Amino acid sequence: MAHLTDGTLRRIVDDPDVAPGDRAHLEECADCKARFRSIDDDAHSIATLLAVPEAQVDVPSAFSRVVSAPAAQPRFGFRWPVAAPRSRPFVFAFAAVIAAVGLLATGIAVNFRGNWTPSTVTPVPVTVADVQALSQLADYGSVTWTRQPSLQVVTNPADASAAAGGLQPLAVSKLPSGVSTTVTYGAMTQAQAVFTFSSDKASAAAAAHGKTLPALPKGIDGAQLTVTVGPAVAEIFGNLKQPSGSDVSQASLPQLVVAESSAPTATSTQVTVKQIEDYLLSVPGISKELKAAIRAIGDPSTTLLIPIPVQYATSTTITVQGVRGVALGDNTGVGSAVIWEKNHVVYVVAGSIKQSDAINIANNLK
Amino acid sequence: MNLGARRMTAASSEEAAFEALFTSEYARVVRIANRVLADTHEAEDVAQEVFIDFHRLHSATADYAPAWLHRAAAHTALNRLRGSRRRQKREVAHVLREGDRTLDPQHQAEVEEDRRLVRAALARLAPKPAAVLVLRASGLSYAEVAQALGVGIGQVGTLLRRAEAALRKEVTRGTSN
Repeated sequence: MAHLTDGTLRRIVDDPDVAPGDRAHLEECADCKARFRSIDDDAHSIATLLAVPEAQVDVPSAFSRVVSAPAAQPRFGFRWPVAAPRSRPFVFAFAAVIAAVGLLATGIAVNFRGNWTPSTVTPVPVTVADVQALSQLADYGSVTWTRQPSLQVVTNPADASAAAGGLQPLAVSKLPSGVSTTVTYGAMTQAQAVFTFSSDKASAAAAAHGKTLPALPKGIDGAQLTVTVGPAVAEIFGNLKQPSGSDVSQASLPQLVVAESSAPTATSTQVTVKQIEDYLLSVPGISKELKAAIRAIGDPSTTLLIPIPVQYATSTTITVQGVRGVALGDNTGVGSAVIWEKNHVVYVVAGSIKQSDAINIANNLK
Repeated sequence: MNLGARRMTAASSEEAAFEALFTSEYARVVRIANRVLADTHEAEDVAQEVFIDFHRLHSATADYAPAWLHRAAAHTALNRLRGSRRRQKREVAHVLREGDRTLDPQHQAEVEEDRRLVRAALARLAPKPAAVLVLRASGLSYAEVAQALGVGIGQVGTLLRRAEAALRKEVTRGTSN
């Protein structure tokens, strides 16, 4: 057995969850024992140096101070959990914004032809306020699933491919150091949802928000927008340990996700076109940056918009697998993602890895 | 139930969730800030700022709420520590008055000097190693430290080891100067 790393030796000092095999190795290895002694000494002397008298707090009076502070009132009637800290793997931020911006993207896309089959990707900056403004659109009609998505977690690529209608997971040729080789596969069947616009619902929603929202374009009542997503497969690297008890902070996050999905498509009925774009962009709260970015897109009917939460991520346009893609994050290893579309399949490589590693993985998928 | 009433119910359950989050996490958030600043009053100040920031933009029912608070507590407190060396000295003196009355004068002076050095050294560390040290020293488990910093649990031991070596080096440098 190879010698224990400094990190493992450090965990043996005070982490009860260290693997028994590592402890057993330490017992028998003189070299590791010597390194352990100095690591153990450091850990204890630092703990002593950082010691402070315990703080005594009065929780109820602190709570009343916090809730009476003027800034504690939310600026909006409701909140959206998109504002996750920058360090969290981007999968969360994606999940939160993709639903809202998907609405916008499809709304914009039906613009020209009444159907949308994207073949390329482009980043658009999205602020928390944008997401809040866009999420109100969900109140403007009703959503029904004509095909419910079903999700499956399996342990081998063949089962994943079978569950996802034959979509093959791509092989990652070389994992960056520090990423666990434990891999789990996820598969999603194709799903289809229909959004039916309703003037009655829209006015009720506007009244509930207590503000005047722009009127829906004439003739939109009863218009249907059909969105099809998937099938999709994902390879998830890292130990997906279930949280023990109710403490969600004990759940571990995947270190790397490689996913592919058939490109989403959308079709619509009776929607008047140019009006929809103007309408979506006139919803209060949409930022100037997002408006400008969308207007700058040449042909929205062939473009998949990738929402970028501007406060938490930066994006660059790159070439990946010979096509245009979007890279998010940076090289700190805190989090990054690469997204591209090729032959009507959308690919995502995301994780708590360096951006350069994410791009490497993306270019070497086979 | 109409839409307006549903929204009001949602708002009041959000308030209840925030109070529950505050009750369960406030003491820990203060403890993290206190570990950095060695001043209970300023630590409470930091904790309240952190909760106000959180409440303004996030839902208290979010899974990431405790991790967000722990991370924000460490970074906000470390920023304050870096912000003022003079304040730091004053705080250490203050803690000594409150916490170390039982020590004999010579030992007290040594403890005071150590605390001053270690906080100056902590202020010189990069944000991530400083946060790892502070979060672990505040009693967060390895899993909680990993969540707060958005790293894999397997990386925490390595980060902690490097941070301890770096802090030790900084403390030694402070002593020899």
